[in-house]
Amino acid sequence: MASFRYALRDTFRLLGRHWGLSILTLITAASVLYILGFTALFALNVRHMVSRIEGGLVVQVYMKKGERADEIHARLEANPMVSAVRVISPEEALERLRAKLGNQAKAVTLLGKNPLPWSLEIQVHKVEHITPLVRDLVVFPSVEEVLYSGKLVERLSTISRASSAISAGILILAVVISALVIFNTIRIAIYSRKEEIEVMLLIGATKTYISLPFVFQGMFLGAGGALLAVGGLWATYAAAVNAVRSALAFIDIIVNHRILVQFFFLLFATGATMGWMCSWLAVSRFTSRALRPK
Amino acid sequence: MDIRLAGVTKIFEPDIVALEDVYLSIDKGEFVYLVGTTGSGKTTLLRLISREYLPSRGQITVGDVNLRKISRGQLPFYRRDVGVVFQDYKLLPNLTVFENVAFVLEAMGIPPRIVKNRSNEVIDQVGLWRRRFLKPPQLSGGEQQRVAIARAMANSPSIFLADEPTGNLDLRTSEEIMRLLLSINAAGTTVIVATHDQYLVDAYRQRLVELHNGRLKRDERRGRYFIDGEL
Repeated sequence: MASFRYALRDTFRLLGRHWGLSILTLITAASVLYILGFTALFALNVRHMVSRIEGGLVVQVYMKKGERADEIHARLEANPMVSAVRVISPEEALERLRAKLGNQAKAVTLLGKNPLPWSLEIQVHKVEHITPLVRDLVVFPSVEEVLYSGKLVERLSTISRASSAISAGILILAVVISALVIFNTIRIAIYSRKEEIEVMLLIGATKTYISLPFVFQGMFLGAGGALLAVGGLWATYAAAVNAVRSALAFIDIIVNHRILVQFFFLLFATGATMGWMCSWLAVSRFTSRALRPK
Repeated sequence: MDIRLAGVTKIFEPDIVALEDVYLSIDKGEFVYLVGTTGSGKTTLLRLISREYLPSRGQITVGDVNLRKISRGQLPFYRRDVGVVFQDYKLLPNLTVFENVAFVLEAMGIPPRIVKNRSNEVIDQVGLWRRRFLKPPQLSGGEQQRVAIARAMANSPSIFLADEPTGNLDLRTSEEIMRLLLSINAAGTTVIVATHDQYLVDAYRQRLVELHNGRLKRDERRGRYFIDGEL
């Protein structure tokens, strides 16, 4: 307990001794984590929009005249790419047509016999599943026609993949930059106390005791930077939600508070963990080298 | 704790032999002068005992501990039992006298109240009570040396190593330091002092171990610095 108190005291001494560098690191970590958070939020929203569109995408399969859809239905139910499949009988299709036509529904009765075939409505888990599914369906001899939004599907697939790849790239870059900045700040702090640490090792201080103030400093800078980034992101996102709602109401962006709070907590934890890991790495390297007998 | 060196050789890269085949046995509570010319291996021997260095050959045991086999995790706990006064003091210039002494105890996780009491006690013992809030650059050489001694004795170690503790000090201050070291020894601590100070060695006669070119040349119970005009 006493060691913990000394470590905390030394942490604030370290931050105070290098206050300029500490502020610079805090701002850099905050900026990089802001970019990281912004990118991740953008990617999350793209995924959210894509999944909403995916949920509404339907592949329609029309059977040849006189052919029933039971066999294909059974196969589709066993297909892992398919999330839902529904068989539409000619009678149900006719009812739908009547409902759609409204006042002109009487015209349908002029047809006499029901000309509509058996059909299927299929929903898939992911937009990428549509093309291979359609390829499988068209080869059935009992299938007359398969309808789906081909271009939209391909575009959504591309957008989803590209946004994931770009976000992952920026995410990695941001993490590396923040890690390097914190690592170097801690290294400078260690070198400024080089003599002190060497004396401490000679008089019997443990590696943990020596490391704690630096690790706390790293965590403080990482978590502090993340906190600033979260504040900035919260404000930016709230403004973005208002702007989108008033100007582009058809765009469905994430407004679920639980998801956003979880996301911001994750960002904060990322900052703190990164600070902890980088500082531990920096101080551990130094003390291990200093403890090695000559 | 007793100290045993058996066939200890220390060679620095590329091939500088600092110590060669040294056999030495120091019992618990002894006071030993290590004498010899510059480069004779005195500091190397002290650093081997504090386990800053590892011997190239041979074994060093302190109490039950074989210093070659001590792990990195155990090392801090061993060093807590060995108080070292470094040749260059190694005081931290940004800390006050009190803080320089206290930080040894803090590093051991001792509660603040005990740290305060013990630090004040040893600072008083070395006669620096009125200077406890000054920083090392504001102190004289003798005072800095006394801070280094206070720091080394703060945690009541079993072994006390002092490397040239009176180097560059005037005679009066040297005698004060010497009396301090003798009082530490009188409390039962094994004291090893590496020194060039022939006056003190002869005035306060104790066991004398002489090194010459890394080899043990002389080991006398109450030895004098000079023998037959040598040294």
